[in-house]
Order: sequence, then structure tokens, then C-alpha cells
Amino acid sequence: MDVKKAVSGYRRNLTIVVGALLAVFLVLPLIVKTPYIINIFILVFYISTMSMAWNILGGMTGQNSLGLAAYMGIGAYTVCLIVTKLNWNPWVVSILAMLVTGLIAGVIFFPCFILKGPYFTLVSIAFAESMRQFIINSEFFGRASGVGLPFGEDSFLQFRFASKVPYYYAGLIMMVAVYAIMKRIDNTKIGFALKTIREDEDAAAAIGINPTKYKVIAVVISAVIAGFVGFFYASYIRYVDPDLMVQAKSTEFVLPAVVGGAAYVEGPLVGGLIMIPLSEFLRANFARVLPGINMIMYAVVLLVVIRFRPSGILGWYMDSNFKKFIDEKILKKPSLDVLEEYQMMNYESRKGGK
Amino acid sequence: MSEKPVIEVVGLTKRFKGLTAVNDVSFSVRKGGITGMIGPNGAGKSTTFNMICGYYPPTEGKIYYNGEDITNKRAYEYTNMKIARTFQIMKPLKNLTVLDNVIASCYFGHAAAKSREEATERAIEVLKFTGLYEKRHVLSKEMGTPDQKRLEMARALATKPEVLFLDENMAGLNPTETAEAIELIRKINESGVTILLIEHIMQAVVSLCEKVIVLHHGEKIAEGTPEEVMNDPYVMEVYLGTKSEDKKEGE
Amino acid sequence: MDVLLQAIVNGILLGGFYALMGMGQNIIFGVMKIVNFCHGEMLMVGMYLTYMLYTYAGIDPYLALPLVAIIMFLLGAVIQHTLITPSLKTKSFTNLLFLTVGLGLLLSNGALVLFGSDYKSIRTSYSQTNIMLGPVSVALPKLISFLVLIVVTIALFTFLKYSTTGKQIRAVSQNPVGAEVCGINVRRIYLLTYGLGVALAGIAGCLLTQFYSIYPTAGASFGFRALIVVVVGGLGSIPGAFFAGILLGLLEQMSALFISPSYSDMIVFITFIVILVVRQLLIMRRK
Repeated sequence: MDVKKAVSGYRRNLTIVVGALLAVFLVLPLIVKTPYIINIFILVFYISTMSMAWNILGGMTGQNSLGLAAYMGIGAYTVCLIVTKLNWNPWVVSILAMLVTGLIAGVIFFPCFILKGPYFTLVSIAFAESMRQFIINSEFFGRASGVGLPFGEDSFLQFRFASKVPYYYAGLIMMVAVYAIMKRIDNTKIGFALKTIREDEDAAAAIGINPTKYKVIAVVISAVIAGFVGFFYASYIRYVDPDLMVQAKSTEFVLPAVVGGAAYVEGPLVGGLIMIPLSEFLRANFARVLPGINMIMYAVVLLVVIRFRPSGILGWYMDSNFKKFIDEKILKKPSLDVLEEYQMMNYESRKGGK
Repeated sequence: MSEKPVIEVVGLTKRFKGLTAVNDVSFSVRKGGITGMIGPNGAGKSTTFNMICGYYPPTEGKIYYNGEDITNKRAYEYTNMKIARTFQIMKPLKNLTVLDNVIASCYFGHAAAKSREEATERAIEVLKFTGLYEKRHVLSKEMGTPDQKRLEMARALATKPEVLFLDENMAGLNPTETAEAIELIRKINESGVTILLIEHIMQAVVSLCEKVIVLHHGEKIAEGTPEEVMNDPYVMEVYLGTKSEDKKEGE
Repeated sequence: MDVLLQAIVNGILLGGFYALMGMGQNIIFGVMKIVNFCHGEMLMVGMYLTYMLYTYAGIDPYLALPLVAIIMFLLGAVIQHTLITPSLKTKSFTNLLFLTVGLGLLLSNGALVLFGSDYKSIRTSYSQTNIMLGPVSVALPKLISFLVLIVVTIALFTFLKYSTTGKQIRAVSQNPVGAEVCGINVRRIYLLTYGLGVALAGIAGCLLTQFYSIYPTAGASFGFRALIVVVVGGLGSIPGAFFAGILLGLLEQMSALFISPSYSDMIVFITFIVILVVRQLLIMRRK
């Protein structure tokens, strides 16, 4: 019974902390009305989501893609083109956008999965860049000037609002949902397969994991999320052009994960929440005098983290006394043995119940 | 020998760009036994092993498992056939805890766990069996060689194999650790797992194996009980390096 | 016919720069097994260095060449010592990759802050001079660049093949642990290698200034093409990099001539992907 009490107390404390954090985000737009600030948070939401999409491939599977922006671009283009040309409902098209990006990632990219290490990275760049070049040269895709979405009255059905607040909530939901999916994957068979592949492909094969199959799964999940973010982005900006797909954007999506800690599901969120507001603050205040200052800050933080805290901010936190203090004093986290015992007790009772 | 062998290897040959690493090797592994494979460095033991486990396709020859031809099976299909292996160069999942290392294995193979709880339960069972239970929350890269070798076996055992291939599982261990490892391997065998192992340490081979295959320069030069093999004049020549062998090398 | 000849000559001359960039990337990748994702930015730094030496000190770009090479070598050595060598220990490929990506960001945005985003150029008295080679006209600076490339290639090849340090570099690229056991100071070799690679990018940047605009992202396309050269030319092969670079330049000019200039980038990238995949398939077949 002691075990049960300790674990449920810990769970309650954890729920309170997470709930409080969510509540802050939920009421924020009611207090802060500046569109500028709201916009920053929308950026945090969708860039962190992109970073999570990268993380399942890079952090979890160890396949360092540097072309994720291209999938986001494909999603955005799919939405803009079909909504303007065929006049379909954008929500329906968002599903289509995910299918298209998933297909492109899984089918066309398929032969590239045999490539390992740096070669995979090179191909991901080359692939993204050739798709961008294709779009720039295609009349259908509006060449370099891009494609826009129709403006009009506020409408949920059209996912079209004059105010930024609805996008804020949509973005928040998107980020939390993707986080929940990632957390789930991390704890299931797929997650263990991906992590095993990251550590060693031969060892993965030895226990019965088909590396290619799981790499395809990871790439497709990653691309599908990117496709959906593309839909969100297009609906928010109401416009897409090939500049969205440049390699610098792909890099920008990776940074929160690496700075936050790529080995952790929460890494991209932590990195995004710290880096993006900082970057936007610098951009807003210094960009006129010192263009590129926000990217310099990004680069310096990245270099410092890699040089001195190779496992990212979260990796640092995990080993710190600060975490010990929070775990023991605030969350009252029981020891790993107790948690394990509790998990097994539940399992036994469920097995017994059957 | 009326019983059918579990593993039967016929005329296995591997050539790397003209270099013949393994030449026409045939042998069989009896169900429920421990078979050893020895030979000097570079004799082609690991290459043979990697071919049997599906990592290299053989240039020629066939591999049968319970009478079924498995020559062209891929490495990741083996645990589904109840065969598992370890690596000579240990491949622990460095950034995962020992427990997670074994949980990952429990999710795959013929008896793949359906849920996280089932996987955890089985992983704990295996960890207790291999004596790693106390260290289950340690990151595997932070463990010493003997424990990593144990973990290699634990990860293989978690797939519930009927046949286990051990690739130099005792290299680099001191005598006490070797004795423990021998004990563990015997325990695994007694639980009904057929074992084929590569080993350099003769003490281990003599005390464990009922049959030994000796490879030299990619060819099988002897086969039999440990005593038979060790009294074989050619094997002694190879291991002790007599004059006739030196002449051969010099040619 | 003349158009074709002109395109071939242009392709070879352009390819020379890819070759130069590829050689630098090649020794870095060969020795440390890391992809230097800021190689293009190093070229850009070389360009700005030349620009500054020309504008503020009045040094002719060709006279500045050795100076640029030395400064770039030192820059590379400092980066290797302070950032890359310590991170090599973590053996995390992801971290090393983003280390060089971060360096690239720092360099290109640093240039943006220092020099602004406008295009700069160097015009010497001879930069507009053309020389007729039969029916083909060639800009004098391009011709000189190509000659420099040939000298550098031969020098580099000889250095790696015959000098003691060159042999040590090759030893480390084969097996760092083995090399260390033989008494080679691996850290020093890493320092030399990265410095050398960066210096080669700097030389390419210096040579480019006379007919290519100078701006913060000028190196990007050269950086990626250097990687293509490494893959196609073969790891550790200087002659391979030389020919792969020229082949790449030719492919680009030919596809611009026969298909469309706007598709030439795309054709280069797709060819690259196909080469990578086919190459890997061949490796797997051999196993």
C-alpha cells in the first residue's frame, strides 16, 4: 500500500505541475494582448513541433536529416494549391497534405534509406534542395513568388482568422498533441526499435529489428508531422513561397532539439521555449543595426552547448542537483524501484483480473 | 546419431575479392548441446559465424536449420526463428539503461512482448537470470567489460531463443569472471538452449563443449570431443607452431 | 560548335573551384570522418579577407593569396583546437555535425553584421582581360585560377604522398588508434588537417573574388558541391577530387546548355543522389 500511496502522490504532483504550465499557456492570450507577443508564441509552437518531427528521426533514430523544411513546404504547397485551385476545404486538404508528404518521404525517398551516417544527411539536403529547385522552376507552383490562400471573413471551417489568438490555440493544441504522440512512441515497441537502431544497426538486426522498415516508419512520421505543420503555417501566414524550403530553415528547425537535448522527447520543447523568444527579441531590437544578430546568438548558444553540455540543456538538468531537489522536495518522486514495483503490481492485478 | 541436427552447415565458403576467408566448411550442431569453434586468429571463425547468422551472404554453401534451408535469410529474421547471437565486439545500447537494453529485445523475435509491462516483466526475469538485476538502472556504457558481456547474453536471451550463438564471450575476462561466465553459459544450456560458441580460452571450451570444431586458414582441420581434438597432431602443430608450420608460412 | 567548346572550357574552369573545395573537404572527412558543413562559409571568409586586403591595404588578390592561405590555416587550427577536437571525444556524430553547422551560421551571419548583405566585388586592371584560346575566349583571372589549382593539386598530392607529415596524415585517416600507438601526435595531425582543409577553401575564395560577387552566403553552393566531389572522387583521393570537381563543373555547364540553366542545380543534386545510392548498392553487393 505504501508503494501505491507514494506513486499516486507523485503522479498527483506531476499532474499539478504540468496542469499549471498548461494553464499559463491557456490564459496567456487573455492577459497579453500584443499581437507581437502572441506571434512569438505561435512561432514557438510550430517551430518546436517541427523540431519534434526532426527529433524522432535525428534524436531517436540517429538519422540526421537536414531537409525537413522541404516537407513542411510540400505540406504548405499542397494546401495552398488545392484550396485555391479546387476550392476544397482546408481541413480536408490538411489530411491530404499529410498523405502527400508521407508518400514522398516513404516512397520516393525509399532507396536512400540504405545510406548511413553522413551520407544520409547529404542526401536529405540534396533531396530538399532539388524539390525547392523544382518548385522555383514550375509555373504550376507559382515559381519564386509562391502561392497564396484566399483572404476573407473569419471562419473556423476555412481555418481563417484575422486575429492571431485562434492560431495561438490551434498551435498550442498541435504542439501538445504531437508531444503526446512522441511520448507514446518513445515508450512503445517502435520507440525501442528506433533507439536500438540509433545505438547500433547490427545490434538491432541481431534482436530481430528490420532497420530499413523502422527507418521508413520514422521518416514517414517525421514527414507527416512536417506536412501538418505546413498546413498550419500556410493557414496562418496565408501564403507560401520557395524560401520556406531553404536549407537554413531546416537547420533552424533542428536547433531547438539539439540545444534542448536531442535524446529526450522534451528536448525540442525546452530548446524551443528558450531559444525562439530570445531570437525574436534580438531580431526585433537589434536587427536594424546588426542584421543576423539573432542567428549569431543561435550559433553561439549551439556551439557553447555542444562544447560544454553535449547532451543539451535537458541532459544537463537530468544530471544536476537541481533536478534532485525538484524530484525529492517538490514532486516527491519515489525511487525507480518503487515505480517499477508499482508498474508490476498493476500488471499482475490486470493479468489476474482477466 | 539418429537425431536430426539443429544447425547443419554444408560446404560453406566465403571469398572477399579473391581472398578466401572460409573454404568449404561443413559441420552440424546437435540439439541441446554445446558446440565450440576454435582456431587461431584469422582462422575464419567470426566470418563463419556471421554467415550462419545472416550478416554476410556466403559465396557458396548452404545452412540448414531443423532441416530448413536458411542460407538466404536476413539477419533480422533470425530471432523469429528462435535463433539469437552475441557480438565479439560488444554492442550494448550505450545510452540506454541496462533494463531498457533488455526491454528492447523483449519486444522482438518470435515471442515479442505485447505490452510495455510484459516486456518489463520478462526483462527483469532475464536480468535476474544473468545476474544483472542489481545494475538495471545503470547506463550500459558506464559498465565494465564483464557486465557488458553479460548484457550481450541477456539481450540475446530476452528474445527467447532455442539456439544461441556466442561470439568470444569470454575474451578479456580474468579467471574468476571466466568461471562465472562458464557457469552462466552452462545454466543457459541447462534451460534447454542449444549453444554454438567461438572461444579462445581452452579452459572454457574443454569444460563446456561436447564437440569442438577447429578452423585454420578458413578450413576445418579437426572435429570431435575436446580431448580428441587436443590430441590431434595437426591441431597441436597449428597451435604450438612447429617447424613444418613455419615452413608453410614461409612459402 | 563554338558554343559547346565555350561551355566545356567554362565547365572545366568552374570545376576547378569545386575540385579545390573538394580536396579540402576530402582530407577533413578522410582524417576525422566528419563532414565539414561550414566549408562553404570558409570560402566566403576567404573572399572577404581578400576583399579587405585589397580595399584597405591595396594588396593585389594574387599577392594576397599566400597571406589568405596562412590566415585561414590559423583560423582552422584554432577552431579545431578549441571546438572540434574536444567534441571528437564525445563520439557523437550528431553533435559534430551541428558543431560545423553552427560554425557556418556564425560565420555567415558574422559577415552579415560586419559587411552587410550588399554584393561587393574586386575589379583589378586585368580582371576584364580576355584571352582567346582558339575560338574560345577565357577571362584571364579564370585561367590563372586554373593554373593555381593545378599547382595546388600537385603540391598537395606530393605532400601527402612523400612528406613525413603527409604520411602521418594518411596514417591517421586509416586508423587513428594505430597511428597514436606508432607515436604519431594525432591531435597535431587533426590540427594540421583542419587548418589545411580550411586554407584550401580560403585559396578558392581568394581566387574567386575577381569574377564572383562577395556576399555572406556566397559560399553555400560551393560548400555543398565540395561534398559531392568527395563522394564522387572517392575518400582520400586527391586526383579523384580533381577529376570529380571538373566533371561536376562540366555536368553543370552541359545541363545548362542542353536542358535549361535554371534546372542545372536540380540536375546536379539528383545526379548526386543517384550516385550515392548506386555506390552504396555496389558496396552492399560486394559484401
